[in-house]
Order: sequence, then structure tokens, then C-alpha cells
Amino acid sequence: MKTISAFQSIEETTDSLGGQQYIANDEISTTVYLSQQLGKPLLTEGPAGVGKTELAKAIAGSLGRSLIRLQCYEGLDETKALYEWEYAKQLLYTQLLRDQLQQTLAGANSLAEAADRLTDEEDVFFSMRFLLQRPLLRAILSDEPVVLLIDEIDRADAEFEAFLLEVLSDFQVSVPELGTLAANHVPIVVLTSNNTRELSEALKRRCLYLFIDYPSLEQELSVVRLKVPDLAPQMARQAVELVQSLRQIDLRKHPSISETLDWAQALVTLNSENLDRTTLETTLSVLLKHETDLRKVQRQLGRMDGQDDDEDETDWDEELPRRRRRID
Amino acid sequence: MEERIVKFISALRSGGVRVSLAESADAFSAVDNLGIQERDAFRLSLRATLVKDAESLPTFEELFPLFFGSGEPPPLMNLMEDLTEEEANMLAQALQEYGQRLREMLERLLRGEQLTPEELEGLGQMVGLNQADDLRYREWMARRMQRALQFEQVRKAMQEIMELMAQLGMNKERLDQMRQLIAQNMESLREQLRQHAGQRIAENMAEQRPEDQLEGLMDRPFQALSDSDMQKLRQEVRRLAALLRSRIALRQKRAKTGHLDAKATIRANLKHGGVPFHIKHRDRTLKPKLVVICDISTSMRHCSELMLSLLYELQDQVSKSHAFAFIDHLEYITPDFQGNRANEAIQQVLIRMPPGYYSTDLGHSLQNFADDYLDTIDHRTTLIVVGDGRNNYNDSRLDIFRKMARRSRRTLWLNPELPMLWGSGDSDMLDYLPLCDTILQVSTLSELTAAVDQLLVEKS
Repeated sequence: MKTISAFQSIEETTDSLGGQQYIANDEISTTVYLSQQLGKPLLTEGPAGVGKTELAKAIAGSLGRSLIRLQCYEGLDETKALYEWEYAKQLLYTQLLRDQLQQTLAGANSLAEAADRLTDEEDVFFSMRFLLQRPLLRAILSDEPVVLLIDEIDRADAEFEAFLLEVLSDFQVSVPELGTLAANHVPIVVLTSNNTRELSEALKRRCLYLFIDYPSLEQELSVVRLKVPDLAPQMARQAVELVQSLRQIDLRKHPSISETLDWAQALVTLNSENLDRTTLETTLSVLLKHETDLRKVQRQLGRMDGQDDDEDETDWDEELPRRRRRID
Repeated sequence: MEERIVKFISALRSGGVRVSLAESADAFSAVDNLGIQERDAFRLSLRATLVKDAESLPTFEELFPLFFGSGEPPPLMNLMEDLTEEEANMLAQALQEYGQRLREMLERLLRGEQLTPEELEGLGQMVGLNQADDLRYREWMARRMQRALQFEQVRKAMQEIMELMAQLGMNKERLDQMRQLIAQNMESLREQLRQHAGQRIAENMAEQRPEDQLEGLMDRPFQALSDSDMQKLRQEVRRLAALLRSRIALRQKRAKTGHLDAKATIRANLKHGGVPFHIKHRDRTLKPKLVVICDISTSMRHCSELMLSLLYELQDQVSKSHAFAFIDHLEYITPDFQGNRANEAIQQVLIRMPPGYYSTDLGHSLQNFADDYLDTIDHRTTLIVVGDGRNNYNDSRLDIFRKMARRSRRTLWLNPELPMLWGSGDSDMLDYLPLCDTILQVSTLSELTAAVDQLLVEKS
């Protein structure tokens, strides 16, 4: 696969992302190109499963860079994200090197001299050798330019964001024992967020913003054609149309692109000829992951087919206990 | 161009989008990079640098064409050119029927002339376009300008003329063609008015100074808040919540007592060769469970709304919360908050429970609570009541309140009234008072924030 060292133009960005099986619209490729040109992190937001993480992978792939990924979660702190001293290894080394240390100190005339000699050796124990590099530091110190993906930043605590600021604006990290470590190559940074909470203004200010929404029918269709080429074109269109209409219904979780792809794959595997009622009923669970959603959609599809059964009653049965259940 | 972008940015700001100086600098360097020849790339470079919030995207998309639109209103067709002499005569005859102003307008439409800038300006002044600084007024302003141009009469007159021409023996095909062209011309004029209204409003927005008197608002009593004040405070609540959140999180992290944080201790004591001089604690205390009962009658609405907004912004610091609202009876309102801002949720509740004719009845509401929802209170729950304790001389149902207070871990009452007024008139506050653990007088947003802060400090 053709890789390039940097995107030269917007068109090239679209093309080479396309080469990585990522179909980028104008918005996506313009923003990606800009973030490279301005050297600014790219903050992508949007519903789950629209390909935010895939975008970072595709950028890494098309630039031939390796991808360093930092998955955020509640309670993530700098020792997990940045660096940690390997104290166990340090202790082990001091034990093992005891003889050498004694040699070094042997023949010292005074306590002060011994201390001086020891100080000269101190750097050994606070060197890169004992520094356990976590994703952020790895991205900064890497000899090769890399793509850094900070995934689901909204899951991390708010104070973790504040700590990211230094890394993202100056691409440097201060380690008290070693001084400031600056990046050899400025990495391309992609942050993703599912918008479960508001990110801080300061973080947003440092990033370019890209909102990725569910794709249009044609776009999604071309993704399906690209990734599941075995599905008959007619079926693919029907399937995508159905998924698109499902996104209009008020569901607890809307089907994402990745679920569309899974479903398309399932249809291929089952050798389905067309989207009839039985096929739908057996495969719909690939698209919808909540029991209530599934039932709701089945009822709606039933209505479309004119095979309406006593749904008023089911509605009633369902609605009441749910309202009570939410309370506890 | 630069000036235009600066104006655009200040219009965005007055449209409620937060744009910092650093971001506008980014916008300029992005534009330097991609140029302004390609409109789409230009739009996207501004958008990626200026708008960092999916909710602000519509504002951007609405304002952008007004500042960087093609600027050309849609062209109008000249019908007069390809009329035969006979047809022109017929038309002239038909036009005789109308008064001068209407005739001028009709002829303009037939000749396909656009409105000149001066005319647009005059029209704008007539309908008060210069005072409008909100894009919501755009359609309304455009309609008012149409009315000033007598659009409705013109449309009718045109129909009549067409009929007259048909009677005079004009070719039917030609007539249909003309009718279509005239309809198009009218649509174009309408579009021109719309564009003008939008552009003018956008420019007014750009010139508007962003108001900033939040300081004063924070300390203004709830009763004295106007609707626009509330709007500002609602935005402020989000910022406050972010502040509170990091303060709470830090407090939990760096506690003085609690579990030993082994990793942090070793790390902190490396400089002492691993001998633990400094002990680090981590204090992941149980996050509080809240049950909030809010009075949303007219006198209490602002206070309750701000309280609920604060709490819902802080969801992640609370393990579970149930919100109830009451006027004369009680309703469970947590479902209304799913996917809604607090003020929208309160609006929804108020539609179900219109205030005014009802009189506040806390006693009855407590009865409702005891009947249906008593199980939401357990030994970890903090019970919060937001209300003034004015009960309209109804039964205060102290027995139920005592039961609720006993079940809960803590009982907190937030009352916006001055303590000297408690117990006066229909206020039952003094009766409830001994049953609560804490009673706070909160009459301003800053006091409310302090109260919420304290609520989450206390170990539960």
C-alpha cells in the first residue's frame, strides 16, 4: 500500500485515507489536513461507532506511522498515561550492584568524599533505563514520527484533561528528576470523545474540532460496498436504507456504522437472498443491542407489513413497569 | 477580508458561541494555509478552529453565508424584453387599472429589477431592522419588509392582470410562461429581502458588545432575576459545575485520612530511599445518593431550576439521584432530565403541572412521596428539600417528614427566605426546622453554589 510522509493537499488526504479503506468526506479530510498543517491536535466528537477511532488508524496507516493509543477511563492518572519509575527494578539493581557500590566507596577518606562519589553515580538510578514509558511519553520520545490516539477522553477525570494540556500544546513533558523531555517529532494527535460530558474550554481551545455524524445513505453504502464486497448491491442498498430509517426512530442506542457492517457480514454469511421478515427477525439482534429497542423495532416492522398484532396491550404492559423500574 | 472575519467572529460571540483569542488566531492561520478561493475549504477551516461544540454548529452554519455569502441576490428575469408590441400594449392597458405605487411595483417585477441598496435600507428602517440583533427575528423581519412592499396585493394584482390578458386574447402558452417567470421573480425578491434581513441582523450582532455583568448577577436574589438574567446564569451554572467538579475530585484524591495509597506513597518516598516518610491516602468515599424535592411554584422556580441544573451537571460526582417536583402534588421528574437541559426539563414538568391556580401543598406532596417513593430513601441518601416552607395553612404532615428524615443519612433544607421571615404568615418552616440536620438560606446563585459544594464535601 502506498504511504506518504505528509499530506500535501486536501485531495491527497482524501485519496490516501481512501487507500486505508476509510471513506472521508470533505469535512473530515479538510480538518485532518488542517490539523497536520497547523500542528494542532484534532478533537473528534460524534455518536459511538461512526469511525472516530478508525480515522486515527487510517491516518497512521496512510502516513506509514505507528499508532500509539491511550484508552481513557475513570481514574486514569499520569502514572498510567505518562511515565512511572520502575522502583522494583531500581531496588533490585541497588541490591545487585552492592559490590560495585562498595568498591566505588572503598578508600574514601571521609564521609563527605563517599557521599560525593555516590552523588556522581546517582544519575544511573534516575535515568531513562528505569523510566517506564507510558503511551504519552512514548509518543513524545519516539524516534519515528507517530500518531497518538487519545481515545474517549470524556471518560477520564476532569483533572486529567488539565494535565494533558502541557503535553498537547508544547509536546513536552517535565520529569522532575530528568528535566524537560521535548518531542523529537511532533506527533499527530487525535482525541475522540463520545460527548458524555462537557470537555474543558482550555482543552478545546488547543484542538481543532471535527464533529462526525452518521453518514448519509450514499456514504454508508459505499462503506458497506468497500468492506463487505460480497453482499449483493441490491441487498446492500436495502440494508443501508433500513439502518438509516432505524436511526430516525427514538431508540436507546442507534445502530452504528460498525454494526451495519457486522450485519452486512451476517447477511452474507447466512446467504440471505432478500430482506424478508424471517431474515430480519433472526439477524436484527446484530444491529440492536437492547431488548426494548429490539421489540420496538419489530413492532414497527410488523406494522409496516400490515401484520399488526395486539400492540396496544404490549405497549401498556411495557411502559408502566419501566417507569417504576427507573427509580431504583 | 480580515476585517470581515473579525466581524464574523464577534457575531459568533454574540450568537452565544465561545471564541477565545487563541482560537481566532488559529482561524487566521488556518485560512492562510488553505486560502479563501475554495469556499468549502474556507468554511471548514473557520469551523474547525472556531467552533468546538456540536451545539454551536447550527449558529455557525447560519451565520457563515450571511458574512461570506456570494453577496449576489438571485437574478431576476426581464419579461418586457421579449414581448411583442401587441402584447406590450395589452400589458400597458392592464396596468392602467392600478394606483401608482402598486403599478411601480408591478412594473419592477415585470422588468426584473432588484431592489437597490438604498431601497433596502429604507425598508429596513421602516420595519425596525436596525434594532434586531438575534437571528430568530430574521424571518419575521423579512415578512414585515414584504408587507411594506405590499407583496400580497402585488400577487393578487398580478393574477388579475393575467386573467385580464387572457381575456384580451393572449396566447395561453405565453401566458403560462409569463406566470411562471413572475412567480420566479417574486421568489427572488423575497430571497433578496431575506438575505438583506439576515445580513443586517448579523452585522448588528457583530457590533453588539458582549455583555458581562455576571458578577452582579451571582449575588442578585432569585426573586429579582429577569428572564434574560436567568439565561446568563444558566450558562454560568455549567462553568460553576466544572469548577466544583474538579474541586470535589481533587479533594477525594488527596485526602488526609482514608485508605493507604501504596503506589503514591512509594512514589512520593523514592527520594527517601523507599522509607515511607510521607504517607499518601486515597479517599474514594462513597459518592452521595441524593433525593431532591423541589418546590416549583412561581416564587421558588428560579431557585429550584438552578439547583437542579447544578446537580445534573454534577451527575458524575453523585452515585444516584432522584428528583421530585411539587406544587400541590408531587411528581417524579428524573426521566425528564434524560437528554434535556434543566430548564427544558422544568418547562416540561410545568406543562404537566401548571402553576398559578394551584396552591402549594407540601403536606399533600409529602403524602404522595410516602405512598410511592419512600423506598428511594435509604441510609446512604441525603435528602434535600428546596422550598420556602410556605404551606398555605395546609397540614404540614410533620409525621411523614420525620419518617423521611429518620430514614435518610442527612436532611438538608435550602430556603431562599431570610431566617427572620421563617414562621411568619403561612410559613411552617419553624416546624420542619428541628427535623433537619442542616438548613441553609440560599437566595443567590453564589450561595447556592456554596451550599452544593458543602453538600458534596461532607462524607456520606
